[in-house]
Amino acid sequence: MLGGLVTPSAGTVEIDGARVLGAAPANVGYVFQKDTVFPWRTVARNIALGLEYRGVTGGEQARRVREAIALAGLDGFEDAFPATLSGGMRQRVALMRTLVVDPQILLMDEPFGALDTHTKINLHAELLDLWGARRQTVVFVSHDLSEAITLADRVVVMTRRPGRIKMVHHVKLPRPRDVIKLRETDEYAREYSRVWHVLGEEFAERGA
Amino acid sequence: MSGRRSVLVWRLVILVTILAAWEWLTGVKAISRTPGLYWIDPFFISRPSAIAARFVFLASDQVRLSIWQMALSTVQSTLWGFLAGVSSGFVAGLVLGRHDRLARIFEPYIVAFNSLPRIALVPLITMVFGFGILAKVVLAWTIVFFIVFFNTFQGARSVDADLIHSARFLGAGERQIMRTVIIPSALAWTFAALTPSISFALIGVVVGEFLGGESGGGLGYLIIQSLGTLNAADMMVALVALGVIGIVMALGIKHVERRLLRWRPEYREHA
Repeated sequence: MLGGLVTPSAGTVEIDGARVLGAAPANVGYVFQKDTVFPWRTVARNIALGLEYRGVTGGEQARRVREAIALAGLDGFEDAFPATLSGGMRQRVALMRTLVVDPQILLMDEPFGALDTHTKINLHAELLDLWGARRQTVVFVSHDLSEAITLADRVVVMTRRPGRIKMVHHVKLPRPRDVIKLRETDEYAREYSRVWHVLGEEFAERGA
Repeated sequence: MSGRRSVLVWRLVILVTILAAWEWLTGVKAISRTPGLYWIDPFFISRPSAIAARFVFLASDQVRLSIWQMALSTVQSTLWGFLAGVSSGFVAGLVLGRHDRLARIFEPYIVAFNSLPRIALVPLITMVFGFGILAKVVLAWTIVFFIVFFNTFQGARSVDADLIHSARFLGAGERQIMRTVIIPSALAWTFAALTPSISFALIGVVVGEFLGGESGGGLGYLIIQSLGTLNAADMMVALVALGVIGIVMALGIKHVERRLLRWRPEYREHA
């Protein structure tokens, strides 16, 4: 709904007072759960896509792409085709491709869902760094509670079908966060168990 | 490396064996001294030595239309028909692939025309376009168009919707989506149609030349002429030439395909 892919059955969605109509509002970046890197474009040309669409060309485009590649630690892979990259690297390309055009709001729909834990945690750290520099609004959909608590200021728990908001939990962990050490702290454990308790009710009610 | 060489050696061995057997079996009499009774009668399939001799003769300037001119005519008709068919088939496939309504309207006509055996069209096309090269080009075009059309159509339909969405989120307009998502994605399907297309273009051209008569020339004309004079050697020259043309054109297409689809994993190691 936020991305305009689905129209709400009632009510409206507004971003900074502007109603979301149709797909893909400007200033909203979307990182899909699925790998949506264009396989026929190299890493650099994938990251350049958004700039190309917006008419940013030549030196300016090259500079911003170079920056993004450096930021994502993809140096040396500029001219590689996605088929030669790992899933984690491809998702990093997708993330940088979205960030390079500087969206105000970043929607992420289980972007790391298909990755192994190790890669996932590295990407969490990177995402927190990137976010620390730009501070855009991020709406992050996840099925992984530790991921949610590690990254978020607010965790919104949704019920099962129909998806309604069950709980809004403010995560009171200080920033900047260290994704590894954070998980060893008591505060983290407390936040985790509080949300887990509510999530557990949801399982119990509808499961069985 | 040695594996590759041994494959080559074996290929060569097979070729030499077949040629030697052919030459020998068409030269040995089945019943001694009875004229005309060979193990295999060279009247029907000629002999490698006779074919080579005819080739030298047909390649010389002692004939009105040399084998080179005929081959050139066939290649030209094939390539023009191929290019016309591929470009029109690609555009039509993209347009109908992205417009459901149009596709539904045109479907019965396309299916009907495609199920028509193209050979049945040869007399009509000859009547309309004459005995020159144009009739052959048109015939090849009617065949190639459909092969490329159906593949591109399928390709344009099966473009991953999430790729289109993600392009839209990156700020793409409809034209940019066409250029950066739909065309590259459909191209992979189109390319799969190119190798069969060139073979079928060649078939169309040769069939056209059977009927097309002398003014267009071409290897198909040489074949029909040889039938008229019961000259198996000339026919074999034309067939070998067609085989070589077919292989060279198919290899050329593979080469282009490999360059343009180098992003696909199956082409990677050869890049």
